[in-house]
Amino acid sequence: MELKLYVDRLSQPSRAILIFCKANGIEFEEVKIDLAKHQHHSPEFAEVNPMKQVPAIAHGDFKLFESHAILIYLASAFPGVADHWYPADVRKRAKIHSVLDWHHSNLRRGSVGYIFNSAIAIAIGAPLNLEAAAEGEKLLSASLAKIESYWLQEDRPFLLGNEKPSIADLSLVCEVMQLEAADESERERILSPHKRILKWIEDTKNATAPYFDEIHSIMPLARENIKELKVQASKP
Amino acid sequence: MSLKVYADRMSQPSRAVILFCKLNGIDFEEIKIDLSKRQQLTREFRDINPLKKVPAIQDGRFKLSESHAILIYLASLYPGVADHWYPADVSKSAKIHSVLDWHHSNLRHGAVTYVLNSALAPALGLPLNPEAAAEGEKLLSASLAEIESVWLKGKGRFLLGSLQPSIADLSLVCEIMQLEVVDDKDRERILAPHQRVLKWIDDTKAATRPHFDEVHSVLFKVKEKLKKLRSQGGGAGEAAESITKACVRSKM
Repeated sequence: MELKLYVDRLSQPSRAILIFCKANGIEFEEVKIDLAKHQHHSPEFAEVNPMKQVPAIAHGDFKLFESHAILIYLASAFPGVADHWYPADVRKRAKIHSVLDWHHSNLRRGSVGYIFNSAIAIAIGAPLNLEAAAEGEKLLSASLAKIESYWLQEDRPFLLGNEKPSIADLSLVCEVMQLEAADESERERILSPHKRILKWIEDTKNATAPYFDEIHSIMPLARENIKELKVQASKP
Repeated sequence: MSLKVYADRMSQPSRAVILFCKLNGIDFEEIKIDLSKRQQLTREFRDINPLKKVPAIQDGRFKLSESHAILIYLASLYPGVADHWYPADVSKSAKIHSVLDWHHSNLRHGAVTYVLNSALAPALGLPLNPEAAAEGEKLLSASLAEIESVWLKGKGRFLLGSLQPSIADLSLVCEIMQLEVVDDKDRERILAPHQRVLKWIDDTKAATRPHFDEVHSVLFKVKEKLKKLRSQGGGAGEAAESITKACVRSKM
């Protein structure tokens, strides 16, 4: 059965799914849905995902959207995916659901609120909103602090005190990597108080090398593009 | 090993978890964490859930927060929970994960923002905010429309076209029930365009009686008190403050 991933590498949850598939040797066809060209609004894509968002997948006739649901499905449906990604143990699995749920209204909401409204928006033809970005930054910083104080344990590399990464690490780290779209000084300002976060990103990158860097290679290009667009927008 | 459920029945996800347990004959001890008295901030509760939110559970020494994670855990752990609540089939459960994920940033975000800022905020020591309520209402209405056009499509009466309810129906219907505490006129205005949603709520109630009504009785008591106070000419803010005092007095 053929697996198609409908993604844009500028989308954090799209990257999580791409890295997961590559790191687990899952064969797929990457179908780019270019957000900057508004391809997510096409009637063709609406057939795949009526919510008009990436990522979405088609596995044979089975279609699915929402990245956490997709990660869980892929981990469950494909043999050979190591247990640490999505453990069979009901309690270990429950903890992964817990952090993935927390993510929606905390790290994701804060991060998107900040980075979309201060940078990404301009790359897809939407206006910046610095007031909303400031609100988002508050929640983002609080979420990073919560990851350090609660979801990560001091002496274990990954979320929930795990020795090896799970789908939760992929999802949340790809979210933090979206800050690569911001000016270097902004990213530095937000992340440098969080040394434990920086180590966790590094550990996740190493555990999924070389795919993590390959999938994230779009980010410096996006950053430069956004800088350029901001310069153009500021010209009278 | 005994299951403890830390909940406030004024909290929508708390109701979903309690309802699920009762429907499936799961033995549990319900421990009330009164949000209007800020009991979620006590040291004792922080030991259970450092994220200071309800619902949370303790099963032996295992602690868990986030209602969707809890519902999935209980459905997976307890034998005798019928398959339709959380199917073993990977494709079917994937669809349930999909709607539960969508819920966070759509129905829940819209409904919470609207209800908090137009009615409940003073009961939790916060100010009302009509501007934020209007923003919340937009997202709430868009979400109700998406439930009709996407999630309720299919043969059955329940989400994802299912013939029987799942944990997703419990979670989302309990969310919409929170609208009972806003002014009737506003609630009708928001829900009336969505006849398919209203039917689904009725079908879910019917499939989960008598527990549905029992679990929601606190919500309806608060609704009645708010109605009385509104009709006595108090503003929504005063009404909600009186509710807090009434709740404290009656130990609701």
